[in-house]
Amino acid sequence: MNESGAFAMKRFNSPAYRSMLRSVEKPARYVGGELHAVDKSDRFFSLAEKDRVHFALCFPDLYEIGMSNLAIQIIYALLNRDENVFCERCFAPAADLRSYLKQRSMPLVSIETMTPLSAFDIVGFSLHYELAFTSVLEMLSLAGIPLYAEDREENSPLIVAGGPITCNIEPMAPFFDLVMIGDGEFLLPALLEIYREHKASGRSKTDFLRSVCGMDGVYVPSFYKVDYHDDGSVKEIKTADPCAPAVVRKAVVRDLNLAPIPCDPVVPNIEVTHDRMILEIFRGCARGCRFCQAGFTYRPLRERSPETLFDAAEKLIQSTGCDEIGLLSLSSSDYSHLNQLTRELLRVTDAKHINLSLPSLRLDAFSLQLAQRLAKTRRAGLTFAPEAGTQRLRDVINKNITEEDLFGAAKTAFENGWDRLKLYFMLGLPTETEADLEGIVDLAERLLLLWGEIPKTVRSKRLAVTISTSIFIPKPFTPFQWERQISIDEMRGRQSHLASGLRDRRVSYHWHAFESSVIEAVLARGDRRLAQVVENAWREGAYLDAWHEHFKWEIWRDALTLIPGGADFYVRERREDEIFPWDHIDIGVTRDFLNRERKRSKEGRLTHSCFDGCAGCGCDVWQTGLCPAALSGRDRSTDREKV
Amino acid sequence: MLLFFARQGAAAWIAHLDTMRLFERAFNRAQWPVAWTEDAFNPRPMLVFGLPAGVGIETRRDPLEVTLETPVDMNCSVEKLNRLLPPGVEVVAWGEAPATKKSLMSLVKAADYLFEAPKICRAFEKTFSSRPSVIVPWARKGQVKEINLTPRILDARKITDDTLCIKAGAGSENHLRVDLLLEALVRDGGLSDESAAGARIIRERIYGDLLF
Repeated sequence: MNESGAFAMKRFNSPAYRSMLRSVEKPARYVGGELHAVDKSDRFFSLAEKDRVHFALCFPDLYEIGMSNLAIQIIYALLNRDENVFCERCFAPAADLRSYLKQRSMPLVSIETMTPLSAFDIVGFSLHYELAFTSVLEMLSLAGIPLYAEDREENSPLIVAGGPITCNIEPMAPFFDLVMIGDGEFLLPALLEIYREHKASGRSKTDFLRSVCGMDGVYVPSFYKVDYHDDGSVKEIKTADPCAPAVVRKAVVRDLNLAPIPCDPVVPNIEVTHDRMILEIFRGCARGCRFCQAGFTYRPLRERSPETLFDAAEKLIQSTGCDEIGLLSLSSSDYSHLNQLTRELLRVTDAKHINLSLPSLRLDAFSLQLAQRLAKTRRAGLTFAPEAGTQRLRDVINKNITEEDLFGAAKTAFENGWDRLKLYFMLGLPTETEADLEGIVDLAERLLLLWGEIPKTVRSKRLAVTISTSIFIPKPFTPFQWERQISIDEMRGRQSHLASGLRDRRVSYHWHAFESSVIEAVLARGDRRLAQVVENAWREGAYLDAWHEHFKWEIWRDALTLIPGGADFYVRERREDEIFPWDHIDIGVTRDFLNRERKRSKEGRLTHSCFDGCAGCGCDVWQTGLCPAALSGRDRSTDREKV
Repeated sequence: MLLFFARQGAAAWIAHLDTMRLFERAFNRAQWPVAWTEDAFNPRPMLVFGLPAGVGIETRRDPLEVTLETPVDMNCSVEKLNRLLPPGVEVVAWGEAPATKKSLMSLVKAADYLFEAPKICRAFEKTFSSRPSVIVPWARKGQVKEINLTPRILDARKITDDTLCIKAGAGSENHLRVDLLLEALVRDGGLSDESAAGARIIRERIYGDLLF
């Protein structure tokens, strides 16, 4: 047995521990002991206290969700490379373990060494959706750590956060000492190194925060003060510390080939939500769909070379033994070496019974041929995301899909015997009318007709079309950040309108519960005043809100009465010149550009992708990836012409 | 090939399907030439476990049959496999697969278990010595069946006051569920709930036709 095993094994000798495990569902969520889990206790704890940094990597949702997340694997591998750092994991306990711990006043502990979170130097949360906010508070509370940064003593751990939604972290701002914005691969290790120097020299937390707050990607919420108008909108965001920059710019990894790929990821012993190896082929998106936050905040588009990726894939296959590998990006078809990469990967994966999965493909002939090739015998359904039912509305949102694309793709799919088609739409997009809803029904009906025209000899015996709708949520740093979210009555009305229109038994209609979309919308464009709402909702029992079965609308509705205007204040349309709670964050894409885009959307004008020239979003300041300055003298070609 | 594996620590707390996946992946990592079923729609690697182990049960020598496409040097292959298994899981012995058309599962007849819990031997004696049969309810798929545990216990031995060794029926017939046994010891033998929940359960070995 290796050295890590010996330490991790001790806990199982305790009857109390076994008893706890027998009282909860899926105890494997909490016991660790997975392949590649790191336990370097012996060496780490023999270092002098001042020389080491103990980091708790927390994910505010269940193990199965957190272990499906690439960020967790990246950070875990990255931090543990440093012998002075020990990064351990901790996930939100399910309801059963949470009650068990509370009844016995037992603290929340890390997976690897069962150290209480309160004993770590730094507790870091990876945040991927707003509905996880109450789980952050629950984890802090279970750990006995004061929720508010200002209530924490000098010896309390530093509470930090990172992840895609930290571009507007204001509703959680008072709870964090430091928030990371942008790419973490180089920022986080650099921060820990500075932290260690401060710790070694015995300097204060505030000293540390002051010395790092000027770095790209570092946001110290307590160094900013927000004033409000009488109507509740932001009047001014001021710096409250001489060291704090007026605007915090996100951290960017310029060359993605230099960002380490976790080739020895922790392999869970139980099935997790996305149970596969993940290969991030590029970061950022060139498309500019106007509702998509990730499409703007991850810019500029930066690719990994096919050589880097192929090498990583071989290592991953060897080190994990998993039977599926998924390519990750915001739009797989846009990878310039997709043909070469998939061809090389398939040569390896086919021989080893490994499935290659490629989400986010665009509707074109190449993608379909590829999908066809990937499906092999295990034929899953095809998923398209037209997002809106009419061309007019698709132009408003800058979703560059035409009906020809859609029907062309569907025809090819039907001719090749695909029998399941899934279509995603959003309800409540700006300017949506009844005609757009009719457009969805119409699309579904015409797809059925098209299938009927395909010769019986080639098409499938049956056809199942699934129409899935979600509610549009206006997000910061998108051209729609000014827009309102439709009211609950409108949501209800539009859903039932669709449901009554989609009558054919070959079509099934799925929709998301809309109350949680309201809360997501409130938090996404929220301000600091919402911290008391999140706290209140949590005190009243809100936890794991992203789970349909746990989400409690009444709790949130009541908590929102703390704010004059409640949810309506946050989901309303914003004034053009209104100061946003996130205006002191510079994500790269400028407010001017977003406003121009918003105006174009109102005129139904498309904006071309970065592939067809620079649209002037502002991300060329980094001079990397697809941006014109970085591209000058280089030709961008793709290998997509032939399969 | 027939492998015998032990699992302890974290690995003892996973369910049967997870154990199967764990081995599938380990065989992949160790590059064993595992044969696949011919099923056109859902081919699977050919692995058969002798007896599922419930969550929280350690094993010392559970049989696992794996069909290989080509013969391998077993010493090297097992050594490599053991290096690439998660901590706590280990192949402890191997041999040729039993020469029979019967499935591995149908060969299993009995198993030895070791229970560690405060005063478990007294509770066992109290439960079984005074009555001809010990019947416990077993709820499954909405139906409650009555199970008589007495004929399922083939032998019992006290190791210490707190350590009990039992030989019990296992497999498709006369199988003893250890959770039901603990329930009976609580109900009839005065074992505390706490002791039952905290008990250490180890399956020491499995007996069966053609299994050495």
